[in-house]
This record gives sequence, structure tokens and C-alpha cells, in this order.
Amino acid sequence: MRIVVAYKWTCDPEEATARADGTVDWSRAKPGLSAYDPVAIEVARQFADEAGAELIGVTAGGKGVASPLAAKAALGRGLDRVVTVEDESLADAGRSELAAVLAEVIRHIGDVDLIITGDSSVDVAAKMVPTVLAGELGWPAVAEVTSITGQAGALRVERAIPGGVQLLEISGPAVLAAAADAAAPRVPGMKDLLAAGKKPAELLELAALKVPPPNAVMTVTGRAVPEHKPRQGQLIDTADPAEAAAELVSALRQAGAL
Amino acid sequence: MSMSAWIVVGDQPDVGNLVTVARSLGGPVGAVVAGPRSVADTVAGAGLDKVVWCSAPDDVPAEASAPAVADVVAADPPRVILAGRNPGERVLLGAAAARLKAAVLTGARSVAFDGDDVVVVNAVFGDIAEETVAVTGPVALLLDGGSVPSADGASTPIEEVSAPPLGLKVIETRTHGFDEANLSAAHRVIGVGRGLKAREDLALIEELASAADAEIACSRPVAEGLNWMGKDRYIGSSGARIAPRLYFAIGISGQLQHMVGVTGAETIVAINADPNAAIFKQTDYGLVGDLYQLVPAITAALK
Amino acid sequence: MDFELTDEQQLIREAVREFAETEVTPIAAELDRDHRFPRELLPRLAEMNLMGMPYPEKEGGAGADYVSYVISIEELSRACASTAVIVSAHTSLATWPIFKFGTQAQKDQYLNDMASGRRLGAFALTEPAAGTDAGAGTATATMHADGYALNGSKMFITNAPYADVYVAFAKTDPERGTRGMSAFIVEKDTPGFSVGEAEHKLGIRGSSTPPVYFSDCRVPRDALLGGEGDGFKIAMATLDGGRIGIAAQALGIAQAALDASVAYAKERVQFGKPIATLQAIQWMIADMATEIDAARLLVYRAASCVDNGRPYSTEGAMAKLFASEVATRVAGKAIQIHGGYGYTESYPVERNYRDAKITEIYEGTSEVQRMVIARSTLR
Repeated sequence: MRIVVAYKWTCDPEEATARADGTVDWSRAKPGLSAYDPVAIEVARQFADEAGAELIGVTAGGKGVASPLAAKAALGRGLDRVVTVEDESLADAGRSELAAVLAEVIRHIGDVDLIITGDSSVDVAAKMVPTVLAGELGWPAVAEVTSITGQAGALRVERAIPGGVQLLEISGPAVLAAAADAAAPRVPGMKDLLAAGKKPAELLELAALKVPPPNAVMTVTGRAVPEHKPRQGQLIDTADPAEAAAELVSALRQAGAL
Repeated sequence: MSMSAWIVVGDQPDVGNLVTVARSLGGPVGAVVAGPRSVADTVAGAGLDKVVWCSAPDDVPAEASAPAVADVVAADPPRVILAGRNPGERVLLGAAAARLKAAVLTGARSVAFDGDDVVVVNAVFGDIAEETVAVTGPVALLLDGGSVPSADGASTPIEEVSAPPLGLKVIETRTHGFDEANLSAAHRVIGVGRGLKAREDLALIEELASAADAEIACSRPVAEGLNWMGKDRYIGSSGARIAPRLYFAIGISGQLQHMVGVTGAETIVAINADPNAAIFKQTDYGLVGDLYQLVPAITAALK
Repeated sequence: MDFELTDEQQLIREAVREFAETEVTPIAAELDRDHRFPRELLPRLAEMNLMGMPYPEKEGGAGADYVSYVISIEELSRACASTAVIVSAHTSLATWPIFKFGTQAQKDQYLNDMASGRRLGAFALTEPAAGTDAGAGTATATMHADGYALNGSKMFITNAPYADVYVAFAKTDPERGTRGMSAFIVEKDTPGFSVGEAEHKLGIRGSSTPPVYFSDCRVPRDALLGGEGDGFKIAMATLDGGRIGIAAQALGIAQAALDASVAYAKERVQFGKPIATLQAIQWMIADMATEIDAARLLVYRAASCVDNGRPYSTEGAMAKLFASEVATRVAGKAIQIHGGYGYTESYPVERNYRDAKITEIYEGTSEVQRMVIARSTLR
């Protein structure tokens, strides 16, 4: 069985600041594995071990995503090998463009039985790349996945729904987005990290993938800092809780909030 | 009649806001539903020009009809496809976007035509910035839902199609006993964070919620790590986004990832013991103090 | 000259930091308060391959370079100085002499178990009347038909009584002074070997450092490590490397104190502004940051000498001398920045302060380090 984990190497917006002109300053941010991807790799590794499957990491993006550091960071978490695409033109790629590239990478790898992704990326958090990827491949996609068992062609998947959990059976290859708490990712051990550099890392040329062009082109024509609703910032003295409560309730009633 | 916009629906019938946005673009608006028939019936009361229902066996989840939904949309390709922020809807929208090779944007604050372009003002990177994006060709948008006002006119007739679903079946459904949340419809929401020390303390919050006629929600750690309430109550960048009249943040530090979910609230109040908590820069009314004293006091003041 | 860490070294730092923050930081204050040895961490440290980092994989170690090892001690120490010394004493003081001087049979018996962390090691050199003057030790090893009988007492033995394997030093020929000292591998359940009462210390309270006693403790002939009379040289060579580990421990303590001070200075408001806006505080922070960076360069440079097969005795001494004095100074300034709160147990800096002092003393006092450096400089 062959399992792919699609991961992302990127920066956390908590470390970025927006300038007054709406551009974003990433200079203090250090790229790393997107926050929920270690969960996806952990879920994938546990299932791959159970099923005796090969576990391949896949990523596509702009400069740096296929660097040795990025590859080792991903491999050190439990992947057997990685296949990557790094191209400047992908730095600002939209969700569907990235999904289209990933679909070609999956076709290049061949015989993939399952794709697992994280819940969402730490920077864009669109939750759409896995679903567009599934659409490109014609495979079912399921999100909020908390557990994967079974075998190729007969996967048993648990996923969270409002109100509970559903057990699904999937009879063919699928794209599964792991819930953010689906597993506690193990911290890589020293041997895992040192062995990471020896595992295969295959870099593909974007042009060679012949990704079909999209039907829509996005152009950024303006940037701004969003006008957040200005907040009053009024602090209510809490020395006497009953008085504070009365003051708050009165203010909220006047404002029509209560 | 060819559609300018398609709304793609799974199990969640809250398409009110999607219809409003689609209508604002002008042109006919259709909806394709892949969930239960009851969802199609609700959507049919939203005043749309066309409603298609992809029927499937009962044990087949909405996601399995993704190719059928893509077929419907591709047969009548629109400029804009819209869906609500729900796991099932995202799958259906993804299938349609892939089929049309459409662009995808998930932070739309506004959508309008400008000549041949669809122009979207799109919030990015945890909403720290906004980009105005001009899109040539078709674009798929994720938007917040919103209840469909009850139909007073005629419902749109439902066209039923059935296409072989993907090999995906529900074997079992287990409820976790948490009440289902209905955050988007709530006028008042109380958010609970890690400032709450123990699960039993939720009783305090429930009393306040009852006195204020509010829904309860939470930050990510409470929904996931602590598992004190259903994950559908988690508000944040990859959870629910709400715009109630009142949002009451209790024991929440105010991190970007959470606050992104409530920037639309009309009034924000916060209680936190830490005077330096980031949340106090984002509130209308802030109370620095012990929630275990302040929450009961406010509950009492409301009665 | 490339001052950047390799990818592996960076990833190792991140992983050890993640491990330390998740599993060590939450118990650090409790270990200190209760003077408790963190037994439960030992299997986890072993699973993380942190107990024998610089030893080859085929010997059970992680096969990491010395710089990576030193980074791991620094990161562990940043969370808990006690945990860091448990690992460095085991790796550098107990495992190293067996790796370097052991016969194949001794390595087969002990090395894999120790480098993999399955068995914990300790180093028993110091005696009540023989600290800096280690050569004045009075423990003896008398030859017998089937081996040696060890007699004597040792003090401040890190990792006793939890250690399984002790590298102990005793004189096979008391007449010959340091040249009469020999090294032995002693297993914990050997009759005649016992451990005394726990020592209550100012700092590194999670590290267990009781006395150990040899009372007609019989060990087999093949427990002799190296040749008779090689003991002192083995001890000194071992301490040369061990001091780089202690330098890393000091570095971690200093970094923790600085991190806490930066966070506190940004939050603490006096006279209407965070104290981080006050020049007095800014200058303290600047000095602390600069000294720590200088210490880091010395520590990594010494480790780099080990990796490149270059002599490291003086470099290690400089690193240990400087880093330990920086740790004490920085921890003191950290309390000053925290003001009254820094003096209480509610903030971690008082523990950093108490932990720092020992780094100027053990594995060669600062005075000994100065002797080593002077001798080398004045050659």
C-alpha cells in the first residue's frame, strides 16, 4: 500500500505584521512545518505501520519548500521519502493551482492508495487544497478524520460531525484531512533526525509536470489593513464584583446588546 | 436559463447569506444540494431560480455526491460558485472548483463584478491584511452561512438527479452527548477559554448563558485538548466565525487565531485575570478580574 | 568560518526543546521543591536517544556530533538543570571512559546498554577529603585471588543510587600517589557497595548526589578499566570532556534566566510603562544577551574541537569557566529585573540562581579551569 502525506513548509502569521499599506512583513518569521502537519504525519505513520505501507511526503510551493532543512524536518517526523516541487511561481499560488500541481505529483508517483493532509495550513487556513485535490483526482474526500484503519480498497475512517462521530467505509483511494487533535505527534528522536538526511528526497521540475493551466487568473490589485470595527476599550473597575456587574449590564442594555 | 452563480450545499441548509451575496451579483442563481431531501426543501424556500437535488441512498454521505455536484455545475458553468464553511460543503465546492478549474478564495469580505472581472476583497493570513483580488474566469468562494428565512412565497421546484456516488458509506454514527451548537443564529454568544479551571466550572457559564439567552462557544484548546464541548462550538480561524450582537469572552487570552472568528461581533466584552492579556485591546468593555466572582455577579445582575 | 548550525543541529535543537517544554518543564519546579529524582524521565530520554548522543549507532548511541550533544544538554538545562546533569554525567562521565578505555569484553557488557539509556551510569571519583585534589583519594583496591576488594567512601556521586553502573576510582598502589590510582567498573548490586543518604543542596535538587561506600566490595579482575595505575589519567581525560557538558548546562540555565527576564520586562508596568522601556533594564538585558552569546560561542567551539579531532582541554576549560560565571551573573541580574517577585517561588529565576552556582564548582572548579588555561597560555 502506498500512502502520501501532503505537507506545507511555511511561516506562522502570528510572527508577521501588517504594514500600514496592507503589505505583510514576514521578516521576523521563520518557516517550519505547518502546525497541524505533524499530526497528519503521525496519523499516517501509525496507519502505515499497521498496514505495512510506504509513507511518502509531498509538498509544492515557492522558494525553500524543498530545501534540505525542510525535507529533513518532514522526513524526521516519520516519512519514508519525500517528493517535492519548488518553483518561485508557486509562492503566491492559489488553492486550486496548488491542488492541480499536487495532483500531477500524485500521478507521477503512481499507485497512490491514500492521501492524508493536516486539518488546515497555519498561514492560509483555507481547508480547500485537499478537497480540490480530491476533485482533480476524482477521489472521495473527507475532513475532520480522527482515525484510519483497514486496508487499500477497504478503508475504515472515523470522522467528527456536529454531535458526534461517524464511521465510514471507503472502497477506493481517498483524500483524508486529519482533525487537528487526531493524534499527539511524537517528538522526533535524535536517530530519526540524523537518519532523515539519508532518506530519498526527489525534486520535480514544475515545467516537466505539465500542469494544465487554470481557467481563472487572480491578480492582486490592492492591499489594505482591514478596518476592524473600532472597539471602545473601556475597562470597568472590578473592585466590587456586584457593582461591576451592574455597570456592565446597564452599558450593554443601553448599547442594545442585551 | 443559465446560472451566473451556483450555491453548493451538503447537509447544512444555512445558505441565507450565500443567496444574498449571489443575488447581489445579478443574474440567475441556482443551488445544487447533495444532502438529505429535507435540506433541499429548505434551500428551495430561499427564492432561487433553480434547485437541483442529487439524491443518493440513505447510508451515503454528502461527500460521495461530489462528482454529481461537479457535473451539475459544469453542465451550466457559472462565474461564481459559493458554499458555506462546513466540512461537507468544502468537499463539494472543491470538486466543482476542480472541474471548472476555478480560482478559490476563502476570506471574501465582499464580491462584485467590475467589467469582466469578479472582484473580491479577501482577508488573508489570519485577517491581518486584506487583498483586493480581480479574477478572470470562474471563482469558488467559501462564505459564512446564515439561516434561510422561512418561505412565504412558492418554493423553487426541485429537480432530482441521481448519479452513482463515490464508494463512501456510513457504517455507524455515534453521538457524543454534547448538544449541537447553533452559533451562527445566536444573537449572543459566550466564549470560554483556558481561564476556566475545571470542567465542572462550565455550570457557572451555563447559568450566565441561560440568564443572557446566549449560546456557549469556546477557544480551540477547550474544544480539542480538553474536549469539554463539541468541536462545533470552537470559534476561530479554522472554526466557526460569528457576528453576534454580543460576544462575551471569558478566560480567553485574545490570540489572533481565536479573535479572527469574532471580529464581526457588534459588542465584545471580556473577563480575564491577566491585565496584559491581548484581548483587552479588542474589547468594548473589559473586566480585569476573577471570573469566578464576576460571572456569578453578572448572572445575578441579569436576573 | 561558518557560525551557522547544520540542518541536523537546528532540527535537534528544536526537537529537544519541544521534548523539554512538553515533558520536562511541567515537572521542573516540583523536582526542585521536592528534591525528587525524575525516574520517569529516564525511559523517555532513552526513547529520544538522548542518553548516548555522541556514541556511534552500532554501540547503541545516536551517532550525533558533539555540537549536537552539547545543544541537547543546553536545551534540557533550559527547562531543568537537574535533568541536564543527569544526562551529561551519564553520557560524558560514566559512558565515555568505558567507550574510550574499555576492553572489547567490557564494551560488549556495558556500552550498548549505557549508550542506549537502558542502564544509567555514574562516576565515583570525589571523596570527602579529595575534591580538587583528586589525587589525594584514599579509597583502595587490593588485589585478591579472584579480583579486587575496594574499600573507601566517595561523595557527591551524581545519579547514585539510581545508576546501574559506576566507574569508580581507587588506589591499587597507595604509595605511588596519582600513579597508583586505578579505575573500576562496579555494578550496583555488588555486595559491599552501598549508597548513603541523599545530600540536600542549594540547587540542582532533582539531581541525586549521595555518598557511596565500598566496604570490602569484591569486583572481578576484568572490572579493572584500563591498566593498573591508569586511573588518574582516565579520570582527568574524562573530566576534560565532561566540563564541556557542564558548560552547556550553565548555558541553558543562563538562557532560561534571560528568556524569563525578557518576558517579564515586557509585561511588568511601572510608572505607566513596561519596564522594558527603561534604559537601566535595557542595558542589563543587553549585557546578559551578549555574555550568553559569547558563552555559547565558546561552548560550541570546544564541542567543535572534539568533532574535528583537535585538542579540546583548554577550549573546554575556557568554555566551562566562562559559561558558569555567566550563568551565575545572569541569574542574579534576572532576579534583579524581576524585583521582589523574582525572590519568590512563583517565578523560575530563583531556581536558575540556585542551580547556576554549582556549575562554577563541579567537574573542576573555576580555579582548576584557570590553572588549566594558565598552564596552556604560559607554555
